[in-house]
Amino acid sequence: MAEYWNFEPNYEQKAKRFFANIPKPEMILNYDIAVKDFVHSGNASAQIKLFLKRLGVDAKVLRRVAVTSYEAEINITAHSFGGTIVGNIFPEMIHIIFQDRGPGLKNIEEAMTPGFSTASDLVREMGFGAGLGLPNIKKNSDVMHIVSAENESTMLEILIYY
Amino acid sequence: MNKKKYFHAINIIQENCNGCSNCVRICPSEAIRLRNSKIIIDETRCIDCGKCIQVCPSMALTPISDKLKEIENFDYNIAIISAPFAGQFPHEIGFQRAKNTLFELGFDEVADEAEVSEVIAKMIREYIQKNPKKRPVISSDCPVVVRLIQLRFPSLLPNILHLEAPMSVITKYYRDKIIREKKIDPSLVGIFLIVPCIAQVTAVHQPEGSYKRFQDGAISMNEIFNKIVALNIDIEPEENEIDFASRGHTWAISGLEAEDVNNGEIKTLAVSGINNVVEVLSRMENHQLENYDYIVLGSCTNGCVGGVLNPENPFIATSRIKRLMKNRNQVKIEALKTTNNLDEDYFLKLFRNGLFDVPNLEPRSIMELDKNIRRAITKMKKMQEITDLLPGLNCCACGSPTCQALAEDIVQGKATLDDCLIRIRQEKQKN
Repeated sequence: MAEYWNFEPNYEQKAKRFFANIPKPEMILNYDIAVKDFVHSGNASAQIKLFLKRLGVDAKVLRRVAVTSYEAEINITAHSFGGTIVGNIFPEMIHIIFQDRGPGLKNIEEAMTPGFSTASDLVREMGFGAGLGLPNIKKNSDVMHIVSAENESTMLEILIYY
Repeated sequence: MNKKKYFHAINIIQENCNGCSNCVRICPSEAIRLRNSKIIIDETRCIDCGKCIQVCPSMALTPISDKLKEIENFDYNIAIISAPFAGQFPHEIGFQRAKNTLFELGFDEVADEAEVSEVIAKMIREYIQKNPKKRPVISSDCPVVVRLIQLRFPSLLPNILHLEAPMSVITKYYRDKIIREKKIDPSLVGIFLIVPCIAQVTAVHQPEGSYKRFQDGAISMNEIFNKIVALNIDIEPEENEIDFASRGHTWAISGLEAEDVNNGEIKTLAVSGINNVVEVLSRMENHQLENYDYIVLGSCTNGCVGGVLNPENPFIATSRIKRLMKNRNQVKIEALKTTNNLDEDYFLKLFRNGLFDVPNLEPRSIMELDKNIRRAITKMKKMQEITDLLPGLNCCACGSPTCQALAEDIVQGKATLDDCLIRIRQEKQKN
């Protein structure tokens, strides 16, 4: 298993404490993501966005959550055998876990390079697969963590503080 | 008109309400409730789209607009017709004759929103080119869309085109012109818009983002239509008279403004109908539509021709405007000269000097359950518990639009579980 971490310096200490002992979230949002269902892809991230709007989360933060969760949801739809999204709601931040059922990343660092993409022609034709998904998620999240290996599943989790 | 915190151009006549709850269901911002046989409109949530007026079968919700007799308060009156006016009249009357009839109704001058469309398109192009980082730019034409963004998509507020709407731009032109040429006391010049929707009435009485009040009133297309038809009913149409409209009138139809702004380099998108608008704004929030430079959003079906104050069906009006536009080619040049020629440089100079700039708009967030996130989470939990107790039929019999909305109303102390009639029946059956 290979692992990748990225911390926004301002939140690094706080986030490390969080991951050392993950507290019970106030609320949990669960979504299933079907294989190659491009029609409904984006619904889960839309729900998460709506939920945070109801909590009164600041518009700029909300937009970062919208972008990251949308990109990650599209990744599961386009590149995996399906998976789940779990949104853990805390009073000061959101923790979202994107878990797929494979086939896993050959090389995480490579996948983090802007422009790198394994997307099929079909996926590209639909306007996805420009190779900006993971770099965009990194740019818009406070913490990004990936655990993956080839022929296994990929777990991506992010933290965004309000 | 009396001023509340938020003015809305909707009149509620409680005694006419039969309790059907059509309005509660259709409201895109869930602003309406029926409680104790009373219609309640949440004035912070209402975006003046007018959908409730369209579906009310019993005249309990009616539009508010200024009456024609208000022109009596002024010495010199100018009517400014909005673009959809061109599509409202059957060919026996015709658009040009209808326009001329406005003089008989007491106006001293008649102007047309369509006159400025070309120069507005230029300003929009210039604005887009000068703000390369702002993508997509969202058109500020439709007041309903602007309010919808303030309420539900505040993160998109910076994307709104910071330019006065065509109606305001042309009003400024005529006010200056009349005061300069006629040497009339400015307070005695009345400028009235003939508008297709209640959002335009609201925009006149409570302009969002601009602090100057541009016009003296907004008169409904319906009222003017009735008066014009009454004056023309016995007059035979003149033979060989070709009725025509200009390109600017087609801006009443969704898609045409976007086409005109696109000079080959600007990628545009046009969307009409409130549900489509909500979907596109939601996608924009995910940064999904950044490949577009300019997006024109209109709340009504097929654009402003679909406004609630228009007498004619939106698609029939569309067909007429397109036909009148084609007729233009057959009209003799002398006839075209009678339409007003505006000085483009005048507008571009004012535009470049920032006179049509609109300040940043403030969000009017209605989405949050509480100002405090912890309290909002507690409310959200309670809401979910309550939603589980409700039947999930969204039948609307309680007076809230959905079971979830009722759960929210209960959490906010505006309703109780006993408002759910299905639940009361279920409880009865249990006992």
